[in-house]
Amino acid sequence: MNKMILYKEWLKTRWVLLGILLVFAAIGFYCFLNLSKVVEIRGGALLWEAMVAKDAILVDVFRYLPALAGIFLGLAQAVPEIQHKRLKLTLHLPYPQKRMLLVMVAFGLLILALLYALQACLSAVLLAQWLASELVSRILRTMLVWYLAGWAAYLFTWALCLEPSWKMRVPVVGVASAFLYLLFLSRMPEAYNGFLPWLLAYTLLSGVLLFHGVARFKEGAQD
Amino acid sequence: MKRIGQIFLWGSLALVALWVIPSVVNLMTLEGYSTPFTLYSCTVHDFTALDRGEGSDFRFIDTKGNVYGDEAQPMFYASLLASKGALPDSIEGRKISLEEIEKNKVIVSVRPKDVNKTSAPVYLLMESVPERLELQDPEDALVSRKDGIYVYNMEKNVLLEEKTARLRKALDSLGFAYPAKLFAGNPSHHKAYDEGYLVTDARSRVFQLKQVNGTVQVRTFPQADNLGVKYLTITEFENHATLGYLVDADSRLHMLVPDGRVLPTGVTYVPEKEDLLVVGDLFYYTVKTSDDKGEHFWALRSSDFYPVASYERAYPSGRSLPGLRFTSSLDNWVKPRFK
Repeated sequence: MNKMILYKEWLKTRWVLLGILLVFAAIGFYCFLNLSKVVEIRGGALLWEAMVAKDAILVDVFRYLPALAGIFLGLAQAVPEIQHKRLKLTLHLPYPQKRMLLVMVAFGLLILALLYALQACLSAVLLAQWLASELVSRILRTMLVWYLAGWAAYLFTWALCLEPSWKMRVPVVGVASAFLYLLFLSRMPEAYNGFLPWLLAYTLLSGVLLFHGVARFKEGAQD
Repeated sequence: MKRIGQIFLWGSLALVALWVIPSVVNLMTLEGYSTPFTLYSCTVHDFTALDRGEGSDFRFIDTKGNVYGDEAQPMFYASLLASKGALPDSIEGRKISLEEIEKNKVIVSVRPKDVNKTSAPVYLLMESVPERLELQDPEDALVSRKDGIYVYNMEKNVLLEEKTARLRKALDSLGFAYPAKLFAGNPSHHKAYDEGYLVTDARSRVFQLKQVNGTVQVRTFPQADNLGVKYLTITEFENHATLGYLVDADSRLHMLVPDGRVLPTGVTYVPEKEDLLVVGDLFYYTVKTSDDKGEHFWALRSSDFYPVASYERAYPSGRSLPGLRFTSSLDNWVKPRFK
């Protein structure tokens, strides 16, 4: 059954995933082409100087990409479920409901994690040709909160879609907006280092909103 | 699970309210407050605060309420006074010239945000004796690691093994304990000369690392060995009066002078919490430290940094609505704080 659920999620998301992958590739290509031109024309020392003296991160263009990917992937998975109340059918399948939802969401989180890992690894390899490992790891540590925002955006998108009434969507939107705003509050490198474990715990905990929405859906809550 | 979801949602909303509402209320109700620019005067021998008198030019008021004109700050307004022919020939029995006054002007400003941040352990290394006389953009960088300080060529991103080995030998010969804790430097060519970096080792001893003709030279300051330096900054001013400022474990400010002596100043300064402003001239350095409660001024004699006067100014007690905040004017980190 797990395989069937995963296959269903794959069918729902493959084109969106391809789109996300293409956008990541295009923006990544642009970013590193830009950096390579800077190195070619003005020298590699400029990248070091920008990072050390101006607190630049060099890959700022990636900042909102993970969150956007999370939103689009969440929509691709959750919208088909709520259209024409198809969720009712899904919940009637001979499989534990909570487990099914967990598998669906875990699929998305895992896909996003793989995408983010791929982006981070490729960035590290490309940046390492110009920068010392300390500067590369500084960039990667700064990117961690962007990836966390991707997971948070994904889970809150699911939660919003599964919530059956608009009245309750308002507080969910409020919490989601405030949390995402918090994750993008500072542009300083490594500003979130000490706070990241707590933010990760909160992000994972926000998954309970999905079950909250499903429970309300089963109760027949509506506007 | 529904109950947990409800608790999570309403708990999160309560946190958002605790964050947003006090911020908005404070933004609407708090009034700005500024204090007058204050310097110690070498003619009045008191602190004088700049004040805009009604319908007249700027004036200065000392701590006893006496009012003066520009002549109260002949060092700060030397050019203006000279243009009016009002610059005195001598002050405190010492002959002065406009050139000498300009050469001895010093301004240093440090904010807690400059101190409280996560920095990369990479430090751009300038050549202090450039071939073409003018300082050039740095080509190499020091990378501080647990087991040593490494020299990299930034252009090629390669470790300069020979240069690193020479630096290690120099550091080892002076008993440098790795890893380095603090680095203070100003790798910019917008300065008169380069003094490299002041560095503390794992035992908080102070060293100077400076590139001279392609070799990183190392120097120690034995007088600073037992201070437990917790903060330092380098000064590269035209008058060469100081090499840097040191703050010891008890938050006392010391002046490190080029001959290696460490001079106490009587100033207490907590870099993590207070702003520091130093305005120095030929006769006196005015040192101001400030936090959210008020300002503390010291006047130091420029010749030996001996404190000759001090003055405090408290801010009016404005009450802000306490709430949850994630950023602070004191640091660059995002983390929760309730105040």
